[in-house]
Amino acid sequence: MHLCRSVLFVAAFLASTTAVMADEAAAGFQDQILAGDMSWDDVLAQARVDGEVQFFYWGGDDNLNVWMDSVVAPAMAELGISLVANRITGTKDAVDLVIADAASGRTIGEGSVDAIWLNGENFYTLKQQDLLFGSFAQLLPNAANFEWDEADPRSQLNLRDFGTPTDGAEMPWSGEQYVCSANRAVLPVEQTPRTFEDLQAYLEVNPGKFAYIKPPHYLGNTFVQQVLYAFNPDGTGATPFQRSIEGLGAAELARLAAPGFEYLKDIEPLLLGGPQGAVRYPEDAAAAEGLFRNSEIHINCGFGLYAVATKRADGSYPQTAEEIIFPAGNMIKNKNYLAIPANAPNPAAALVFANYMSSVEAQVTKLDLVGYPAGIDPWKLDPADAAALEAAAPAHYGVTQDELDDNIAPDTNASLVEVIEATWLEYIERGSSLPLEEIVANAVANLAP
Amino acid sequence: MPSPIWRRRPTLQRQQVLGLLPLGVVMIVLFGGALALALLQSLGFAPWLGINSFPDVSYFIALWGGASFWWSLWFTLYYSLAATVIALVLAILLALGLTRAFPGRAVFGSLYKLPLVVPYAVGIALAVIMMGNGGVLSRLAFALGWIDDPAQFPLLLTTNAGWGVIAVYVWKQLPFMALAIHAVLISAGREQAEAAAVLGANRRQIFREITWPQIVPGIVSSTLICFAFNMGAFEAPFILGGGFPDTLPVMAWRYFNDADYTLQLQGMAVVVSIGLVAGMMIAVYLATYRRYERSLGRV
Repeated sequence: MHLCRSVLFVAAFLASTTAVMADEAAAGFQDQILAGDMSWDDVLAQARVDGEVQFFYWGGDDNLNVWMDSVVAPAMAELGISLVANRITGTKDAVDLVIADAASGRTIGEGSVDAIWLNGENFYTLKQQDLLFGSFAQLLPNAANFEWDEADPRSQLNLRDFGTPTDGAEMPWSGEQYVCSANRAVLPVEQTPRTFEDLQAYLEVNPGKFAYIKPPHYLGNTFVQQVLYAFNPDGTGATPFQRSIEGLGAAELARLAAPGFEYLKDIEPLLLGGPQGAVRYPEDAAAAEGLFRNSEIHINCGFGLYAVATKRADGSYPQTAEEIIFPAGNMIKNKNYLAIPANAPNPAAALVFANYMSSVEAQVTKLDLVGYPAGIDPWKLDPADAAALEAAAPAHYGVTQDELDDNIAPDTNASLVEVIEATWLEYIERGSSLPLEEIVANAVANLAP
Repeated sequence: MPSPIWRRRPTLQRQQVLGLLPLGVVMIVLFGGALALALLQSLGFAPWLGINSFPDVSYFIALWGGASFWWSLWFTLYYSLAATVIALVLAILLALGLTRAFPGRAVFGSLYKLPLVVPYAVGIALAVIMMGNGGVLSRLAFALGWIDDPAQFPLLLTTNAGWGVIAVYVWKQLPFMALAIHAVLISAGREQAEAAAVLGANRRQIFREITWPQIVPGIVSSTLICFAFNMGAFEAPFILGGGFPDTLPVMAWRYFNDADYTLQLQGMAVVVSIGLVAGMMIAVYLATYRRYERSLGRV
């Protein structure tokens, strides 16, 4: 009995000391690397000691999963790191895990998430909770592939994520643009809408033939944001929506958003199911794609600059699908990133992983095999690499890259996104009879502290 | 002076304790712990999210004060009860039918149990593939020239009438209930019914006086399980339901899934509300059943 108890005691003591030691080693590494006191060779050596990287990402794209297993995993293995690809259905699951780990007192070296593919609200949440590893992005060798100079407006996509300063706490990984596709079997070129007014006119003739994904899904939020830009009463488009809610104020946001929300209310009976009196917003991209494939809707929108090429190739879009320029001048373009949490169990391996993901090699194969636009900036590359990137890009159908580039708009500030989605839920979904100003004010008041 | 019955009252033996321990631990630690945590969170206790206003009933006030909660409660109860009642009526007919001999009975007797081994998710997928506006029936109608656009096919799924949700529940739960009722009928035997028939009772009297009291325990246990499941089920109303107003489990999921993590507490208030409503309904149901049993002199 006594022996048993003392063995337990010793085991518990050992466990607690090793935990503290591991903690100190990881914390020391974090301090050193962030202070710039560590060579990249040291990081590579430490990453081999870590031995693995726990990467969490949305696993809903087969092409991406295959690329991850057949290209990224072997490349990481060469660096002495085994890639553990945790495929999740929603990025928020990984964020929740980081928060839960932190809540149970797990700090650097002790958590369960090394890297997350994310952007927008999820990054905002981690930043707000102070759960990010630190400013690492510009310390990696492949930081040279990105534009960091604030004087160049193109750097904004690397420096701001939905308006939230990235502060180097996440590495840009892919670019994206909100692109709508039309099924030419049912929607001829001459009837194709370019503006939201065009869309309404089309739906009056063809009721029920459009649907946008239900907010608070980010694809639905993005559609709503584009509507708000287009109906901005000052005609300044996306510009005022770049400010944070503290800067803009609830009353001003309500004034700017009012015409857009009126439009959303007006078209609701013309959306899918509306003619039958049961409007139903699709829950996610897969649901909307199914509707598009069955020509239940004539236009499908989502992030994916090369989505039509990839989806025509794998059969998830009909061969008659083409890209369209809609909404003209308000196609939101953003980037998505790899973030490292503050309680990453293998921080060195996470850094090596992030560095590999922003290499020309990884970006070219990703573009070629998955069809995700490059996250690195071609003008920062040497000409041969830039040419390789261009050669790997899938084709466009019905529009040119220049037309797509000419119609971009920036994302909405992350602090406004929550207010806008709460307003949509109250004003459009619940059909609240309160004035919009009051709904927006309530949404602002309910924001997380 | 203690009665002999008291003296014979069994005490827990070591073996029994060992047998009860696994389930007991699961129930008390996992289930009880989760319930306690849900209750605490719904009352404002979530220090890991930086929120601790315990005890705080504002989440319940906000929830119960909105019309959408009551609509959601109505749809939750409607789908759960409608599916349970429809499945029950069909299951009784099926179980009674199976006690009689008919050609192919052996094959049919195993065939009807098939949905029991098929997961709900597959049933939901089947409903979408068959009954959806882009589904097989719609395509057949198109091939036959009855419709020339998917929208002309009647909207069976994704409406608040919930035909899709109810269909999937009935499809899955009908065999389960029939199995339970059939088992009771088999074990009770046909002697009483035959004796009543010999004494001149007609079929209706036999059902009311003999068969019904026999199958009631099977009905109560199987409907309880199905109703409780339907109240808490998420997938079917999420995929096949009509969107807002959603059922309560879908509403809870939406709160949990929102990027704004503070809404999780609101979601917990929804979860606790589901537990309260389901618990109360089941308590009333069981109390009514006990009174019925007492009236028969069986308890």
